[in-house]
Amino acid sequence: MVLASVATPASAQEKSALRDGFTLPPGSARILLFRPKVRVGAQSTGGMFEPNADWTDQAKRNIVTALATAQARLGHGIVVAEEPVGPAAATLASYRALFATVADAVITFQFFPGNRLPTKKRKGAAFDWTLGEGVRDIPGADGADYILFLDTQDAFGSTGRKVAQIFAAGLGVGITSGVHSGYAGLVDARTGDLVWLNADRQMGGDVREADGAAKRVTQLLEDFPGSTPAPAAIPASAGTAAR
Amino acid sequence: MRRALARLIALAALPLALAGAAEAAPKARLAALPPYAGAYQPQGVDERGLWNEADEGERSLRDSPAVIADPELNAYLRRVLCDTVGADRCGAVRLYVVRSAEFNAAMAPNGTMYVFTGMLLRVRNEAELAAVLGHEFGHFEERHSLAGFKAQRSTSDFAMWLGLAGAYTGVDTRATTGSMIGGLFAFNRDQESAADRRAFEYVAASRYRAGAAADVWARMMDEADATAAQRGQRSRRYDRVSFFASHPTNLERETTLRALAVKNGEGGEDAADAYATAMAQWRPLFLADQLKRNDFGGSEYLLHQLAADGWSPDLLFARAELYRMRGNPRDLVAAAGFYREAIAKGSAEPLAHKGLGLALIRSGQPGEGRAALAEYLKLKPDCEDAPMLRSLVQQQ
Repeated sequence: MVLASVATPASAQEKSALRDGFTLPPGSARILLFRPKVRVGAQSTGGMFEPNADWTDQAKRNIVTALATAQARLGHGIVVAEEPVGPAAATLASYRALFATVADAVITFQFFPGNRLPTKKRKGAAFDWTLGEGVRDIPGADGADYILFLDTQDAFGSTGRKVAQIFAAGLGVGITSGVHSGYAGLVDARTGDLVWLNADRQMGGDVREADGAAKRVTQLLEDFPGSTPAPAAIPASAGTAAR
Repeated sequence: MRRALARLIALAALPLALAGAAEAAPKARLAALPPYAGAYQPQGVDERGLWNEADEGERSLRDSPAVIADPELNAYLRRVLCDTVGADRCGAVRLYVVRSAEFNAAMAPNGTMYVFTGMLLRVRNEAELAAVLGHEFGHFEERHSLAGFKAQRSTSDFAMWLGLAGAYTGVDTRATTGSMIGGLFAFNRDQESAADRRAFEYVAASRYRAGAAADVWARMMDEADATAAQRGQRSRRYDRVSFFASHPTNLERETTLRALAVKNGEGGEDAADAYATAMAQWRPLFLADQLKRNDFGGSEYLLHQLAADGWSPDLLFARAELYRMRGNPRDLVAAAGFYREAIAKGSAEPLAHKGLGLALIRSGQPGEGRAALAEYLKLKPDCEDAPMLRSLVQQQ
């Protein structure tokens, strides 16, 4: 793929990819969602990640809610998978790990065109990654058409970090404040093929708030096969912050 | 953030009185352990955040194929832990056996204990195991993860301000930052020493012999020396602590624990037989994992340690595999001898026949080698490499 000549960030990184010829007609699919991996915390002055349990819980709830809303508008059914036990849990754990590995490989070897592997360098080389047909063994996959994996990590810059940023800017040194990255991937529940992956190291939306989470989900589902959900006016629900 | 126990063991076998020779005399107890409040809940943003991360980690660990979930093995280790730290304390811990050949154990702040199989292979009795488990529990009870996290954060924050201030005033602050980072590693080493002392207190108050902890570190050093000698490296046994060391040196740990043991009496039991019985069915697996580390010197040392009171079939088989893997012509001859010895002593491992066959074929005794392979194929007709082995058997 030749990069479009629009203004791209210096890294020339692509953000998402779709399997050739894949479309998801609205209102058809049953999508299985596994416990999203959500990490939310602060970034200390020195740049360490400081995990925050409350923010993580809020974000997890908000993201699942926003996701259901976004998908409902497209007409797909999202089922949040039960946590399996016993051998089924081991199967799921292996596939989660496999998905993370494959997604990392896609980000490294597909989204950065300079890193493309020889077989994926050719012009028109297809986006072709799979977890294998064994995904059918994942508990709950038999009743679903697709499996959705979500993973986001947020570190909000602390006050100290922001002040340090200003001081560093005074020296002409740029230090970043905050890390907001995430990826979402859709896997065909019958073949194990990765049909769509969206990964972004710079995402928007404050996942601690309901409408921020809606924005984040909209970004995660950008270029989602089928159509892009319009950002919904989600009523800011009161019960998010359980202090 | 995991705290690891540290790598390495080994031991010039102390002339121990044969285990089980005499019932251990009742111990003069150091002191009863202070009361323990169970079901501790994390306090404050930092600790709750760390526990949250640890909980997520534990979820994925729980279902990981790397964990040996055998109920009997887990119940046994839990019993040793509870006998060490007391029933009220061990309720706070979930123990996971991780299949990894490293000598290690680790503790997450929420009470997740990682026990590596490489450690189980190396400790020789329940008293030594108690010292290791007690060390990890010490990290948990003293909430070292939280203190370590805070120390890391305040150090990195201060380093940031110092760097900025230095940049504005044109002062080079790198030396100061460097020594602050050194201080952070020293902090970590102090935590490890504290956990060692904690473990000693638990074990001293338990039915086990507290002095056993020092033996572990002595053996770790000997094993490291054997590895280094084989690889043509120098021994690091007497090295001073390095700037970036996460733990005190093994020598320092051994010396400290030895001194504590001398001061507090050597009463208590080792329970070596009970430990050997519990590990009997697992040792072949742990040994097979150890052989894959490509550490001839260390593995050979370890096998000799384990064979202190006689070469059992599983040790002979492991030693034969070790030699066959290195594969010098002389090693193949030695390996064939060990395989034969293992089989003669009643080794139930079919692979002994396969290894014997391959070693013999490669060392110029094809007739006997083919006979051994045929024996293996009789025992394991459906093994993965059956077609290839059959072709070897039929070669003239």
